[in-house]
Amino acid sequence: MPEKDNHNMRDDNHEIATDGGMSDVEREQQIDYMDVEINLLKPATPFMRDHLRIIWIGFAIWAITTFAPITATRIAPDVMTTQMPLIGFPLHYFLLAIVGPGSALLLSVWYARKRDQIDEKYGIEQGVVETETTETVPDDATATDGGADE
Amino acid sequence: MIDSVPMLAEFSIDALEMAPLQADEELLPEGLDISFKLVPSIIVIGMMLMFIVAGFMFKVADTDDMWVAGRSIGNLENGMAIGANWMSAATYLGVAATVAVSGVYGLAYVIGWTTGYFILLIFMAAQMRRFGKYTAPDFVGDRFNSDTARSLAAVTTFLIGFVYALGQARGMGLVGMYILGDWSAVTGGLLTGYQTMMVIFMVITIAYLSLSGMLGATKNMVLQYVILISAFLLGLLVTGWASGYTTVLPQLEYGMMIDSLSSEFSEPFAGGSYYLWIATCFSLVFGTCGLPHVLVRFYTVQNERVARWSCTWGLFFICLLYLSAPAFAAIGTALYGEEIGAVYGDPGMTGAAGDVLVVLAAQLAELPAWFVGFVAAGGIAAAVATTAGLFIAASSAISHDIYANIINEDATQRQQVLVGRLSIILIGVLTIIFALNPQQPIAALVGFAFSLAAIVLFPMFFLGLWWEKTNRQGALAGMTTGIIVWFIPMFNEGNFGLLDGGFGIEVISTWMPAIGSALIGVPIVFAVTIAVSLVTDDPPLETKQMVRQCHSPDPMPSDKTAADIVAEKNRSGNAPADD
Repeated sequence: MPEKDNHNMRDDNHEIATDGGMSDVEREQQIDYMDVEINLLKPATPFMRDHLRIIWIGFAIWAITTFAPITATRIAPDVMTTQMPLIGFPLHYFLLAIVGPGSALLLSVWYARKRDQIDEKYGIEQGVVETETTETVPDDATATDGGADE
Repeated sequence: MIDSVPMLAEFSIDALEMAPLQADEELLPEGLDISFKLVPSIIVIGMMLMFIVAGFMFKVADTDDMWVAGRSIGNLENGMAIGANWMSAATYLGVAATVAVSGVYGLAYVIGWTTGYFILLIFMAAQMRRFGKYTAPDFVGDRFNSDTARSLAAVTTFLIGFVYALGQARGMGLVGMYILGDWSAVTGGLLTGYQTMMVIFMVITIAYLSLSGMLGATKNMVLQYVILISAFLLGLLVTGWASGYTTVLPQLEYGMMIDSLSSEFSEPFAGGSYYLWIATCFSLVFGTCGLPHVLVRFYTVQNERVARWSCTWGLFFICLLYLSAPAFAAIGTALYGEEIGAVYGDPGMTGAAGDVLVVLAAQLAELPAWFVGFVAAGGIAAAVATTAGLFIAASSAISHDIYANIINEDATQRQQVLVGRLSIILIGVLTIIFALNPQQPIAALVGFAFSLAAIVLFPMFFLGLWWEKTNRQGALAGMTTGIIVWFIPMFNEGNFGLLDGGFGIEVISTWMPAIGSALIGVPIVFAVTIAVSLVTDDPPLETKQMVRQCHSPDPMPSDKTAADIVAEKNRSGNAPADD
């Protein structure tokens, strides 16, 4: 009964929203992800809310560091092409060739760390399963994989 | 479709203002010393042998290893593999070439090819890992419950691999010629020097790849990364030092040189308009997020945390080279100007000279031949590594997504691996034929593949992962529109000899250049997909649950896919199951 499902989901969300007595972590533990809608703009769970917040902050900064320097150069070419003291770069060249890629890298480190912190907050641990190696597994082992329960 | 051997069509890319390469002589870069060089040859041959041995040691017989390396790859290792997979001849040779030839416009490539990884990281890497299938078309097929969508994605993957590999083949041929000399006599004059070298290197690549599969390719990529990055960085350092332009940190010191170079090097919009810059950068960023051979690297890791960190590591490894490429371009441009002639204007530096500028710069700085050979070897390693990733992605599209999922559902592992190998040979032969007369600089050839990935595949991955109401009809309509949209500028500009000279409609070539067509194409495909999804029925609940599972923070075992978890859940719980 798929059409009813949507309805249930709204009820769930409603409950979560009005339940002020629980911490984010406790609320998160009561959620079954099979029942919550994935929405980029309206996160349905505390975890998704925390996660989407860093996604959007990161995306906004990224958009600026990626497209703003060239746009500024288009608007104010004279200011943007002034030579920088000490390192000698024209400003626009420095922002494009070094700041652009560099800030994407810093943002990535920032995001990955933030996301680890969120994982920690919600007590999420990534399983590191000893994976099968080529040497020890016969050819058809993967084909007959029964999905052994952990 | 592309079905004829390319004719030597006249064309020009607005941005690059290249003279058409009408004959092979024009493919011979002026100033580059084409001759057999003993020590460099030993380095390159030794390197290729090493790849084959490593590939043979990790020879595979089952599909898990063939396509996803047994999902056993860790953080740093995958980061390096991402780097090697990524840094093709287009990066190693093409970025410095474009920055040198088209100035600030070339920086759109530097930014587009690095910052795209952040978008990939925040929106897709971990979710793709949780989805946990084998190939990018697998995602499309399973997410949208459609074999037609799967085939469209598979065909697109194949096309991307092919267009992209053309640039790599061109790089291998040009650099190979520098190291081993002109071997056209071997073919009795049937093939030119460039063609002979390109064929030789492509054949070796295909041989090693069809033996080793993804596991061997991943192990090799780490090796290839180390070779290519040390060759590039040492090459830059030594070239800058020997020519007296820079000392210990050329990546920053070249700022001081910019003043002394022709104004075309740094003047904004001298090599391409603002619009073209944005369009190119946009295409490259979102192409990065749609490239099947990049996405599949996230299927090869243990868990989603490794997917995230290896993406970050990958970007770090990539940045090492991209922060250095403009420095190489500056030094190369200065040396070229001093020793050969004017870089800009007419005649100026040709595309072929630009494409080997990294090697040429080392040679012009009068470095010993063995060292120049080492720098050149790095270029070949880059081309081989990327071709490997591309061909694996393309062949898995044929073997796994089309053969095993649609044509012969009972295919055994052995049959699948065989079809995989045959399709590697097929795409290799196609690439060789079309690369005989490459008409575009490396970076431009590769740029077309990015537009295609951005227009056709990126919206499917993004909406598929983030909007659970995207349905089959929406995906099919979106992908079909995307493929048509991609071909419009390709025909218009007459690339690959599609229509002799193309339509040449000016409005289209101005606002929708093939190299940056995603700026217009991506929003169109998004709109079509969303509109069609809205007016048709929602996808089944299982599909929605699969999307939700991709975003759930709950850890999941590395050998399960989101679909497995959903199926188990529905079997034990009370949710409706339709099997």
